[in-house]
Amino acid sequence: MSPPAPHGLLRRPNRYGLAALLSVAILAALVVSSIASLAIGPVPLRATAFGLPAVAFVMGATVFFLRGLRDPEGTMRVRDMTRAGVLLLAGIFLWLTVLDVYTFTRGAGPGVAAACAAACIPTTAFGLLVVRRLDRNEKEPWLLVLVATASGAIVSTSLVIWGETLWDLIFTANLVPGPAADASTAYSAGIFEELAKGAAVLLLYLVMRDEFDDVVDGIVYGAAVGFGFNFMESISYMTHLYAVLAPEGMGAQAAVGQWYWRQVVGLFFGHATYTALIGAGIGVARQLPGLRQRVVVVASGFLVAIAAHFAWDAWQALVLAGVTSAFAQVLLLHARYLFMAGPFLAMVLLLLAMGLQIEGSALTRHLQEEAATGLGGVMPEEVPVLMSPRRRFRDRMAALAGGGPGAYLRLSRLQAAQLDLAMERWHRERNEHDERRGTEEALRRRVLALRTAETRTGP
Amino acid sequence: MNEPREDLRPLYWTMLGLGLAGIVILALGFATLLRFAPPGERTDLRAHVVGVFPYDPASGRVDGPPATRFRRDQAFAAQVAWEQLPPSMVVAARWYDSLDSEVGHVGPEPATDLARHETLIPVRTPPEFHANLPGSYTLVVVRYSRGEPVELLGTHHVVVLRDQ
Repeated sequence: MSPPAPHGLLRRPNRYGLAALLSVAILAALVVSSIASLAIGPVPLRATAFGLPAVAFVMGATVFFLRGLRDPEGTMRVRDMTRAGVLLLAGIFLWLTVLDVYTFTRGAGPGVAAACAAACIPTTAFGLLVVRRLDRNEKEPWLLVLVATASGAIVSTSLVIWGETLWDLIFTANLVPGPAADASTAYSAGIFEELAKGAAVLLLYLVMRDEFDDVVDGIVYGAAVGFGFNFMESISYMTHLYAVLAPEGMGAQAAVGQWYWRQVVGLFFGHATYTALIGAGIGVARQLPGLRQRVVVVASGFLVAIAAHFAWDAWQALVLAGVTSAFAQVLLLHARYLFMAGPFLAMVLLLLAMGLQIEGSALTRHLQEEAATGLGGVMPEEVPVLMSPRRRFRDRMAALAGGGPGAYLRLSRLQAAQLDLAMERWHRERNEHDERRGTEEALRRRVLALRTAETRTGP
Repeated sequence: MNEPREDLRPLYWTMLGLGLAGIVILALGFATLLRFAPPGERTDLRAHVVGVFPYDPASGRVDGPPATRFRRDQAFAAQVAWEQLPPSMVVAARWYDSLDSEVGHVGPEPATDLARHETLIPVRTPPEFHANLPGSYTLVVVRYSRGEPVELLGTHHVVVLRDQ
């Protein structure tokens, strides 16, 4: 017998409507702040004239892409993907025309900017690999993780420019240089950068809630947005320092130094951690029953991320000021990562461990219950394999050895569909059902079809 | 339908605890801001920056008309109308380069002393560099009270051009 329809499903607001509202609010804030900064500030006209539409187009492309990707029937997929492709092309074109505003391409040269970007790709990819691997029970699709990364790199960084410029003009520029001005800058960085990255995570959640299952997924997508932001920010700092110090023959040294701090030491101890905290809040909220609880926990995620970022920047003012010895500076800079970002990274790992434990326990129970139904979605002997990433991988490698890449992919899809089915059962049990994922019955049919295909073409 | 068995309360309370920790950190930050920029210190006085001029370090005098752009190898100095400030007011002026490093300062001294000596504020090229770094340079004029800078009286920006 089918489970009864979850209570409260009809009361849930339309997620796409909320996503559209959030997008309109972000763009409105951007337009207002850019008009204000145009009137009083130094943000180049080109950054506003081309950058604003670029952000709008990329955000639109993301929404259409994700909607098309998750379309269960596939009827709207071609139209949505076409719209996404056109908007993305237009957005990327406009973005490239303003890229030099924050990558200092004019000062450092396009070759240096490209080299900086190339240097940051392997480290960013490593970060994404590690975070995705930590999601051991049900890995997020690479495509969506990369969409999150691109949102952090393109949308969030663009959002920040106007806000920080305005804050600087209104507050920081009127303060005496020193601790007060540094604290003001730290507030600006914490508030605007975390709001911009958090808005990207929230938007992703609203558009693809069926892939955003719990706190673990929130941490993965949050960290992915953070890695994207860190990627662009690293290029920005590397090219800026290169442009300033190259005439003294120290440009390459300065750029490599920035790469070390931001892409090696700070890869996990920075933006990835802060945005993972926001993602964790959204992920926990996804499974809470009451609206008030959800709002409180999302706000908590934003608050701790802003505070963590603020604390990081404030260290500069309170500890590094006045230190002249190079050795002491290097020591203190490393200590800054350990003491200012370390505790927050530890909290992310704690939340991740708690989330994985809860998720693992729930999936095991639902896989066992599904196996006990005898409907064929999951066999009893498959449960321990599905709950062990190592054994899943070993089985896929055996399929690869016996039947080639096709067999590997078929088994991979089957395992993912089985875990989707268990996850769906869990959400249904908790009244967190999402109409976009499809009913349990549809997911079971998909598993059976994949199993048949695997058996028919198996090794 | 089964009752949910997984308890999310520990996650919920952990997030709430983190949110509270965030509020405490931000409040401490605000206290720091107030400590170094105490309210009630505004005099609404403005320091008038006459201009930034090419500068001859040997003679210690300006050497040409005011400008907003300078070559890297060109020394320059700012001139402030110290005499327009209250004589007993303790003030200082500092130059910051495009990396926010201090590259020249005068004071803190009473404005009358600075006015008497027609004190200029030259940019000093750091000893580890051959010439000034390119980018935007900012002059700030600040007022001191009880030995600490408390109010920004004026700012001025010039650009050091990249080598051609």
